[in-house]
Amino acid sequence: MRTWLILLGGMLVWALHFFGLYAIAEIAPHRAAVAALTLVCLGADVWFLRIISRLRRDDPFAAWRRSVAGAGAGLSLLAVAWQALPALMAG
Amino acid sequence: MRSETGFDPALYDRFPTKGERPRHEEAQLKRIWCAPKGWEYLTVVNNNYVGIYYLATAFLFFLLAGLLALVMRVQLAAPLMEVLPQATYNQVFTMHGTVMMFLFAVPMVEAAGVLLLPQMLAARDLPFPRLSAYAFWAYAVGGLAFFASLFVGLAPDGGWFMYPPLTSKSYSPGINTDFWLLGIGFIEISAIAGAIEIIVGVLRTRAPGMSLDKMPIFAWAMLVFAVMIVIAFPSVILATLLLEIERAFNWPFFDATRGGDPLLWQHLFWFFGHPEVYIIFLPAAGMMSMIVPTIARTELVGYRLIVLAMVATGFISFGVWAHHMFATGLPPMTAGFFSAASMAVSVPAGIQVFSWIATFAIGKPRFNTPGLFAMGSVVIFVTGGLTGVMVALVPFDWQVHDTYFIVAHLHYVLIGGMVFPLFAAMYYWTPMVSRTALSERLGKWVFGLMFVGMNVAFMPMHLAGLMGMPRRIYTYLPGTGWDLPNLISTIGAFMLALGIALFLIDMGRRFRLAPGGGNAGNTYGAGTLEWLPTELYSTRSIPVVKSREPLWDDPGLSDDVEEGRYFLPNSATGRRETIVTSPLLAEPQYLQIMPGPSPWPFAAAILTAGFFLALTVQAYTFAWVSGALATIAVLRWLWDTDQPVDQGDVDIGAGIRVPTYVTGPASHGWWAMVILMIVMGMIFAMALFSLAFLWGNQPGFWTKPLPLTEGLAIAAGYVGVVFAAWATRRLHRRGNSWATIPVILAAVAALLLTWLDARAWLALLPPDTSGQSAAVNAILCLQAMVGAIAVLMAGYLGWRAVKNLVSQTRNNTLDLTCLFVGYAGAQGLVGTLFARAIGA
Repeated sequence: MRTWLILLGGMLVWALHFFGLYAIAEIAPHRAAVAALTLVCLGADVWFLRIISRLRRDDPFAAWRRSVAGAGAGLSLLAVAWQALPALMAG
Repeated sequence: MRSETGFDPALYDRFPTKGERPRHEEAQLKRIWCAPKGWEYLTVVNNNYVGIYYLATAFLFFLLAGLLALVMRVQLAAPLMEVLPQATYNQVFTMHGTVMMFLFAVPMVEAAGVLLLPQMLAARDLPFPRLSAYAFWAYAVGGLAFFASLFVGLAPDGGWFMYPPLTSKSYSPGINTDFWLLGIGFIEISAIAGAIEIIVGVLRTRAPGMSLDKMPIFAWAMLVFAVMIVIAFPSVILATLLLEIERAFNWPFFDATRGGDPLLWQHLFWFFGHPEVYIIFLPAAGMMSMIVPTIARTELVGYRLIVLAMVATGFISFGVWAHHMFATGLPPMTAGFFSAASMAVSVPAGIQVFSWIATFAIGKPRFNTPGLFAMGSVVIFVTGGLTGVMVALVPFDWQVHDTYFIVAHLHYVLIGGMVFPLFAAMYYWTPMVSRTALSERLGKWVFGLMFVGMNVAFMPMHLAGLMGMPRRIYTYLPGTGWDLPNLISTIGAFMLALGIALFLIDMGRRFRLAPGGGNAGNTYGAGTLEWLPTELYSTRSIPVVKSREPLWDDPGLSDDVEEGRYFLPNSATGRRETIVTSPLLAEPQYLQIMPGPSPWPFAAAILTAGFFLALTVQAYTFAWVSGALATIAVLRWLWDTDQPVDQGDVDIGAGIRVPTYVTGPASHGWWAMVILMIVMGMIFAMALFSLAFLWGNQPGFWTKPLPLTEGLAIAAGYVGVVFAAWATRRLHRRGNSWATIPVILAAVAALLLTWLDARAWLALLPPDTSGQSAAVNAILCLQAMVGAIAVLMAGYLGWRAVKNLVSQTRNNTLDLTCLFVGYAGAQGLVGTLFARAIGA
């Protein structure tokens, strides 16, 4: 389970942000709520990237896992910021 | 490398073993995995046969839906043509879309998985071969019956996404719509069965040493594909169920005049419908990523990024469903981030395309038929992807919504993203299953006609759409400017069809099935395991995998495998078996005894199809009899699958011993049950979403729900059910002979609690009163269904216990029953509280 969380962590943060945005837009659309959620998720991605950077890479599988997870968290960081922008502008 | 399970990786150094293997071993394998004869072709379960059946049937549906497309193109070739009456045209375009999406695309890639994965992973077979057989027969019988509705004028006619209110009883009073709702719901069950098989197969039956970082990219694609099916398909199953209930019993889920909402259908449908595009695309992309390196004679560029891209596609594709609903008036904030996600999803697709281009660029590509189809696929898919980014922009989407621009876009994406890779795959992998490869000379003609024909057919549709031609019109007036683009499109469609006809001729001439060996072999010089010499038992021995292209890195591997110098060179127990390995590093864990041929999966599939078809034509007695017999057939098939084996542990090669049976979370059965529970949980979650959606969008029809405090006693009862299921496992492990009793009682209690809850709700809100009442009662129905299944499983467990088939060490049936009863309790708890809390 730990390896799956490492591999999918970035994408899970993205999913949390996306469905959070959906809930905010449907229930109580407000820019402040979008901004707060986005900051939390960006923070989670940064925190996750720090954890990944400390992971071992002493065998091929560990190195592979570290690089896929790191790229995933980086992608998530960009995607969270990207999808928050129109919501912030429209809110 | 650290171990995942305690297995010592140094043991891999014992392979390849030295010395001759006894001659009788191979004969024994051949006897155990023998070919079927006569009627046994109906009861066969090996992936070599079921995979081929599956592929052939899916391709048949492709041809049938293609013929429908040609008829439509003739009708639209010129203004005011009278080839098809308007009503028939509606049925034809609905069936074309439905058959292509539900009966061709998803089953075709699932079939490719069933056929290719065991060979690619060097497993003897996928872990649930009878489930594969059931999934195939259910799909084949259900699909053919569904298609036959066209010949009696009863085919659905509401478009492949069946929007209400058009498909409500008021506007579609016949049973045409019911054929779609029940037929597709049934076929999706088959898709989910296949997905469970694929997930467990990829994660638990890989060759020893094939850690996730060495897994073939097609296996990665199939894993993401199957997980996406598990998450997405429950939504359409629920949607079809709700609409059918609305039509049959007048529960107004989608009736805006009574507190329902037709947009709820669109949310439920597209939560499935858009991921469906990627569900189709990802396996095809996986095939491309296997074919391109072989054709280019070099390693795939960016393996890690492609894995990430597939996983990212799997996630992001669930965040784009509402871009099909931009024209419904979404709030600006919602439209904004859905638009952003729709653009973002093109990034992972782009990563894969750039990887293929880079692989071609650094390699020495061969311009043979699979190579041409692969390159053609990139061109067509990128064109469709670019128009996809265009329609992700809300203002542009408003302009072209429901026009032929969208028809052009979706065909470029689906043909470039799935059909061309599929043809590349058919040329590429035919030598693996046929005695002869397909013709290169004819193949180039096939490619040329299909590539040119496709572009001639669909490129003008962009223009027709921009000129305002709407989708789904059966004819048009002269002078609109649509005449020429439509005529060109029709010519292109026939060119495309000619290419496919040539392909069929080539298949007829050269394809000679060779499931028992004697195939054409590794024609293209690929490096992955499916090109090892195989018989019906797959490879003679199961190799240790040390790289992603083992055949390139170890030229002697084929000979060593064929001479039995690796794992499982014989049948350790005298039965069908495969090695189950750990999910991350693929370390050997135990030997799975595999079920052999059986008539019961076939019988269960026929009877399940009978149940759904009889419901459609309102023959209710026949339906219930069929349903009951189907249940008996399933139980009978399961009865053989958890039998005692004499040997507790066995030598699987080089003195390495593993058990023949494990229980709990390590067992493959546990994994399948957990995935099934995720499916059930998704159906339930979408039902809860439906209730919340109606509360948010139809507050004027809302009735104050039952008080939360009144539900606490029922909730406590459900907590007791969960506890009893948990306690049963613990008691059984301690050796208590009566330990099965608590879980049996808990299952009955779960059903009784649902009845109590339903009685309270029915007194307040009869189901046909409002959208809210319909949704609450639907939640209760789902809970009742889960409770009934739990009781059935508990009864089955009790019967096995009476027959002394449940022991302290062999108790998978007990484990799985406890797991499901626990789930039933948890779902009941959530449903009881949620229905009372929402809108209180």
